[in-house]
Amino acid sequence: MTDVFFSSWGGEIVDNRGKEPENYEKIKGIALPSQFAGKEDIRALIGWYGIVLRSRDVNIVDLCRAYITAVQSESCGKCFTCRVGTMVLADTLTKICRGNGDEGDIDALVRVAEVIREGSKCNLGQTGPIPLLDAVKLFAEDFKRAVQDKKPILEGNYHYKLTAPCMDACPIHLDIPRYVESIKEGKFEESLNTIVEKLPLPGVVGRVCVRPCEMHCRRTILDEPISIKYLKRFVADDNLKKKKKVSFKQTPSEKTGKVAIIGAGPAGLACAYHLALKGHTVTIYERFGEPGGMAAMGIPDYRLPRNILGFEVEQIQKMGVAIKYNTVVGKDIKLSDIEKESEAIFIGIGAQASTAMGVEGEDKGYGGFIPGIEYLQKINVGVDPYPEGKKVVVVGGGNVAIDCVRSSFRIGKEDVNLVYRRTKREMPADHVEIKDAEEENVTFHYLTNPKKILTREGMVIGVECIRMELGEPDESGRRRPVPVEGSEFVIDCDILVPAIGQAIDLGLLEGKSGDNVKTTRKSTLVVDEFTMQTSNPRIFSAGDCVTGPSALINACAGGKRAAVNIDCFINGKRLEATDDDYFDRLFNDVKVFDPREKIGFLGGRKMLHLPMLPPEERKQTFAEVEKGYHFLEAKAEADRCLRCYRVGMIAV
Amino acid sequence: MVKLTIDEREITVEEGATILDAAKLAGIKIPTLCYHKRLNPIGSCRMCVVEIEGLPNPMTACTTPVAEGIKVVTNSERLQRMRRETLKLMLVNHPLDCPVCDKGGECSLQDLVYEFEIETAEYRAEKKEREAIYATPLIRYWPDRCIMCLRCVAACRDIKALGAIDIVGSGFGAGISPVNKEKCESCGECIKVCPTGALTENLSRYKGRTWMVNRVKTTCAYCGCGCQLELNVMNNRVIGITTKDDDEVNRGSLCVKGRFGYEFIGSEERLTKPLIKRDGKFHEAAWDEALDLVAERLTAIKTAAGSDAIAGLSSARCTNEENYLMQKFLRAVIGTNNIDHCARL
Ligand SMILES: Cc1cc2nc3c(=O)[nH]c(=O)nc-3n(C[C@H](O)[C@H](O)[C@H](O)COP(=O)(O)OP(=O)(O)OC[C@H]3O[C@@H](n4cnc5c(N)ncnc54)[C@H](O)[C@@H]3O)c2cc1C
Ligand code: SF4
Ligand code: SF4
Ligand code: SF4
Repeated sequence: MTDVFFSSWGGEIVDNRGKEPENYEKIKGIALPSQFAGKEDIRALIGWYGIVLRSRDVNIVDLCRAYITAVQSESCGKCFTCRVGTMVLADTLTKICRGNGDEGDIDALVRVAEVIREGSKCNLGQTGPIPLLDAVKLFAEDFKRAVQDKKPILEGNYHYKLTAPCMDACPIHLDIPRYVESIKEGKFEESLNTIVEKLPLPGVVGRVCVRPCEMHCRRTILDEPISIKYLKRFVADDNLKKKKKVSFKQTPSEKTGKVAIIGAGPAGLACAYHLALKGHTVTIYERFGEPGGMAAMGIPDYRLPRNILGFEVEQIQKMGVAIKYNTVVGKDIKLSDIEKESEAIFIGIGAQASTAMGVEGEDKGYGGFIPGIEYLQKINVGVDPYPEGKKVVVVGGGNVAIDCVRSSFRIGKEDVNLVYRRTKREMPADHVEIKDAEEENVTFHYLTNPKKILTREGMVIGVECIRMELGEPDESGRRRPVPVEGSEFVIDCDILVPAIGQAIDLGLLEGKSGDNVKTTRKSTLVVDEFTMQTSNPRIFSAGDCVTGPSALINACAGGKRAAVNIDCFINGKRLEATDDDYFDRLFNDVKVFDPREKIGFLGGRKMLHLPMLPPEERKQTFAEVEKGYHFLEAKAEADRCLRCYRVGMIAV
Repeated sequence: MVKLTIDEREITVEEGATILDAAKLAGIKIPTLCYHKRLNPIGSCRMCVVEIEGLPNPMTACTTPVAEGIKVVTNSERLQRMRRETLKLMLVNHPLDCPVCDKGGECSLQDLVYEFEIETAEYRAEKKEREAIYATPLIRYWPDRCIMCLRCVAACRDIKALGAIDIVGSGFGAGISPVNKEKCESCGECIKVCPTGALTENLSRYKGRTWMVNRVKTTCAYCGCGCQLELNVMNNRVIGITTKDDDEVNRGSLCVKGRFGYEFIGSEERLTKPLIKRDGKFHEAAWDEALDLVAERLTAIKTAAGSDAIAGLSSARCTNEENYLMQKFLRAVIGTNNIDHCARL
């Protein structure tokens, strides 16, 4: 069953006019939710891919008018067809809707719409006229009547949002087409300003982001994605090189207050930054002696040099954010004591503990047995975690495991192995990272699982492993590894590093009688998905401690979201999802990126990859492996962007 | 090298060249408006659309790098229709006020509208007022005439590396605005590249139409760079300065002095007769009288105190030839090496 009576979405026409609802043909390729913001019925959708109509009360001419008017207001003005053409369309449609249409108007609409679609510079203009052209063709009668009747049409209620495939995929919704275009035009400072409106760590994220944006980049259909990540790094580096102060627009809210943040990781820092922008007084309590959380203590320096993170945190501190280092909340100071002094609290403690492997002997404290997170944290403060050892086995297939093996070479270990129970194809680690590790000569043992730690006099001397084979797919969709009976073998080693997962240490929470913050069975904090508020109204949380081990950009997005809501909380405003949030949801159903889209342009311009230090040289040092773009390279890379802005609008 | 076909002609060009470059090389003309050879391609005017075999969408020749084996068509019914429609859209806000426009006669828009035989402004949209403020008082911005080709913005940013002006606003209401007024050097690079009469010189408005002036090529006399320029002369008066993109040295660029500092030539305050100072006051004199006096005094000083008691200071406002004669006079006639020039100070 479907209640949609017309759709031209994606060029597939489904026309149920004149049919009884029970005989409606179903539309493919799009799932139009029935409600917006949980209260308004979605009566129609109009956007870059066509029109979907649910309610017969929607006036198609007025729908087009409202939509084209929105497109015109979003037009950047940088090409003739879109800038002027959409204005001509909007004015003509408005004229028709007011009852002043003329015979020739519809012809003119088509002619102008065609040239905008075919001739515009970016995707806003290229997609803007598509639903109008559909409408004029398939609802010709309605348009004719509107012109002939010369009666004003009642204006409907509409909501719209500008988006782009990359922008929609980015968890913090950076205005990617805009910052990329600024680079193309040589306006590097402006580009950076666009980024820091939302993200205070451009140099960090520009180096290590897991880049969901690039995986949704429309240019991929033509050749390869835009290097969105490295362009971000480029503007951050350019600014650092020129030693310019980033200009933050601080606009204090009506009421400002004292906010405490637990944890100076990406989530905590992003939250602090956005609270400081709103004029609040922020104090961060941090367990370690330096800021950055996993970005500092987990991610190794050869991927993310310390000075980059340092500079960006310094900028946040300059906005008045205080950081109390070497302070463990729950031990050195109680959460309830902090609560007394603050109007709101943000918890961003991450997932800082290592998960156990479930292997015999791992709890015995053998010399040379070091959990992955601890291993990296030691290396990151310049300490060899176990100088006695030379031969390393790391267990796991994620990015943490790869960081452990690659770091091992850099502290002088000679023989470095990675043990993973599935095959390379199933490895969750970034494929670029795997390739880099291969180049550096890590020995990979796939389809292998540790069974038992072998020791002598309390020291690791090897690990007994068993061969695995892939069986039926499990709930993650990946084929489940099953042990091959009798295939046990031993890998000699004196350091064994399990890196199979991270856990959350909830030691700071005081339970029902104290903060009363609810947690899940997986030890994550329970929060409202839109407001990041915990079960205690004054306590908010985001980052790895809410999502489980995830990615930096997700932590930053969560921290920002929490800050926005803490600001509302302090100002006595209702905490609720915004229209933007509901549009995110809608777009998630409607899909902003369609990998099957046919783009009728010439491709063949591949991504400009960064030059790298040669493997033999780089594995000796913690110097950054990848060099950044030269400014001409950055401009050339930015020039590849198709600027895929598009407007989605609903009638309610 | 990349091989491609444009309008059924095989062309080989260097990698990285655009389709427009390749067409130019082969002598094939593609209509353009925002393209300017000294600027990075802008892509705002959409006039240079071409078709590539096998691809449904036309692409702009100025921004598309060539690719091996592509077959390009620069002229078809569809492309001509698109160009005509685009031009018609341009006339929505551009008034047909050519009779009172300083650019009339050498305006790219006028030429294209003529070429495509567009007789009326068919489309209409409600006018949006745009502010007529500009970065420098030496230039006047006419928002109605501005077609938003963005050449001026690109010139200020790419050639001058200043970024004094930029596009502000969105949609039909977008205009050119001095976003960094303090950075403007009044060099007039923007006015140089503006294809329409949207930027005019505030000094010479309504002094003469383009076809009424005689353009005399000369070298800028303000400094030692040797920038090439043309004096626009009407009735023996200089009424403006223009430059050519192909000229050596400056390739069309000038600084504020070269571009706008020409009014002194016809200034009422210029000396046209020699003056002799008597009793602390200047009195007009005849040339013979003045020259005799100078010769007499210089000879007297030379005899009494030697050649080196005399020095000559020449002027940057003079031509090379005049300066040459000055130093020759001091060295050969007076007999001293004490000769200098104001541009060195
Ligand atoms: C080795 C490694 C490599 C990674 N590589 C990448 C990558 O390449 N790309 C990517 O996007 N993501 C990567 N990640 C994930 C990313 O680092 C995390 O998702 C992100 O740092 C989470 O941010 P957070 O602020 O939630 O938590 P964290 O970064 O974990 O920060 C939590 C902070 O809270 C502090 N803290 C904890 N408890 C207390 C307490 N009781 N009192 C005071 N302070 C406390 C901690 O010391 C820490 O500073 C990696 C993670 C690891 C471990
Ligand atoms: S081409 Fe540009 S605008 Fe389009 S999805 Fe990629 S980065 Fe975003
Ligand atoms: S006069 Fe020169 S500096 Fe001023 S806006 Fe024009 S190009 Fe830029
Ligand atoms: S002022 Fe001239 S150069 Fe600048 S955008 Fe307008 S028409 Fe183009």
